[in-house]
Amino acid sequence: MHIPRGYQGKARGASGGNDFIERSLFGVLEFLKDSLFSEEYALRKGLLQSLDPRVKTLSFVFLLAAALFLKSIPVLIWLYLLCIFLACLSRISLGFFLKRTWVFMPLFSLFIAVPALFSAFSPGEPLLALNLWLLKLIITKQGLCAAGLFVTRVIASVSWVILLSLTTRHTVLLAVLRIFKVPQIFVATIGTCYRYIYLFAELIENTYLAVKSRVGARLHYRKGREVVAWKIAGLWQRSVYLNEAVYQAMLSRGYTGEPAVLAELKCTVLDWCWSFCVIIVSLLLYLMSRYG
Amino acid sequence: MDNVIFSLKDVYFSYLAKFPALCGIDIEIRQGEKIAVIGANGSGKSTLLHMLDGLIFPDRGTVSAFGRALEEGVFFDGEFSGFFRQKVGLVFQNPEVQLFCPTVKEDIVFGPLQLGVAKKEIERRLDKLVADFNIADLLERMPHQLSIGEKRKVAIASTLAIEPEVIILDEPSAGLDPRTARQIIDIIIKANLSGKTIITATHDLHILDEIADSAYCFSRDKKITRSGPVAELLSDREFLEQNNLVHIHSHRHEGEAHTHPHEHLDHHH
Repeated sequence: MHIPRGYQGKARGASGGNDFIERSLFGVLEFLKDSLFSEEYALRKGLLQSLDPRVKTLSFVFLLAAALFLKSIPVLIWLYLLCIFLACLSRISLGFFLKRTWVFMPLFSLFIAVPALFSAFSPGEPLLALNLWLLKLIITKQGLCAAGLFVTRVIASVSWVILLSLTTRHTVLLAVLRIFKVPQIFVATIGTCYRYIYLFAELIENTYLAVKSRVGARLHYRKGREVVAWKIAGLWQRSVYLNEAVYQAMLSRGYTGEPAVLAELKCTVLDWCWSFCVIIVSLLLYLMSRYG
Repeated sequence: MDNVIFSLKDVYFSYLAKFPALCGIDIEIRQGEKIAVIGANGSGKSTLLHMLDGLIFPDRGTVSAFGRALEEGVFFDGEFSGFFRQKVGLVFQNPEVQLFCPTVKEDIVFGPLQLGVAKKEIERRLDKLVADFNIADLLERMPHQLSIGEKRKVAIASTLAIEPEVIILDEPSAGLDPRTARQIIDIIIKANLSGKTIITATHDLHILDEIADSAYCFSRDKKITRSGPVAELLSDREFLEQNNLVHIHSHRHEGEAHTHPHEHLDHHH
């Protein structure tokens, strides 16, 4: 495309100013779409993908319960390593898996765990003293242990949940929740949220481009705030519309709140072997935690 | 008449109790008919189709389907609800709202699965639709990755998978390239030849005589201004102009300016 000479500099300068916001926005949306909607891993032929989803879900709940009750950091680290090992056996790229788990991890744990380090919340044997102006902060051994235990527990638990969601198709997982008698309203809400997140990600992206096409890339910060407010209001209105329209489309095709899947669920020898291994591993973890 | 499927008598409907969408509508639709609902944008066509699909209910007047009054309460009866959803299928105007499953395949089988159709039968229907629509390469793709034409084809396939007796289509050719539009028209004609009742909302008059034998024309005041055979309606230029269905169109052709009525919104000649 030919841009008249006088406009070339302006076009470059204009896009440069908002590049960071634009890249961040599209990056976040792309990551959200990829991580939530790519079922690429669930379709691969790996160890966990070949298990009956009911057996797999139940065993993961068992391992999650183990992570909640274990009180030893090294044992929790073993549990986490086991999760990574299974991810590799399930043909999930290690880099992708670590990125998925570690991106959300600080949000969950660090902000909650950091205060527990200090003597004000965890009194005990001082390890390190920090002088911040008039404030004296003391990190205690007990605080460090409590924060460490909390963070490793969160890391292990989140990793197992993400491994389950990566290796099981979304619709199958919802059907399994219903088999386990999870209330219909809860399952329907998860299903609906899942569908909307993608549509919203698209809406945000398109709205941003629509605004950019009309006002250009440079926007006074005050106007920028107004535009963000409009976007929020617009998104809200569209979400109300989508909520009704998608639900009507589901009703129209016979939806009654019970998710159904085409695949036959069957327990095989592999599922029994897997269940046996999970019980042995849980027992070992318990013994390691108690006597290790 | 015995074979009346839908009967609407003096039906009124408004959104939020203040924006009228249908005013005094009387319609009777019989089995095997090919009917079009035409009118300008915002004349109430989509509202009517949603009402025929039992998704919204009249404020005043009565709608009956298969001999039973369509009121919100009747859909609490699981047996009738299942029966009705198996008999009537709606293709929404916006395929985005209709395609909500992670893959195209799951979207196509969603309806029959919900309606408890046997899995072998679902697979048979899926194979047939895949062959008819030539969408084998789309099956494992996510619906949002498709083009508008592909989305519309999948949306139609997902409705046809239910094998309904009545197929309701809301603007099936909107935004499509001529080849895809042609494919969709052929599918509609084929479905009607196999005995299905077809109800189509459109303002694309070029396809009207193919997809319908008779038409109901909606005016801006949300009433039916005229109904009758399509050929009769299409020959009345003055009426079509009054209802925003044709406009005077000027263009240059081989160096000369032409002015003539222009009948549809999607194509230029």
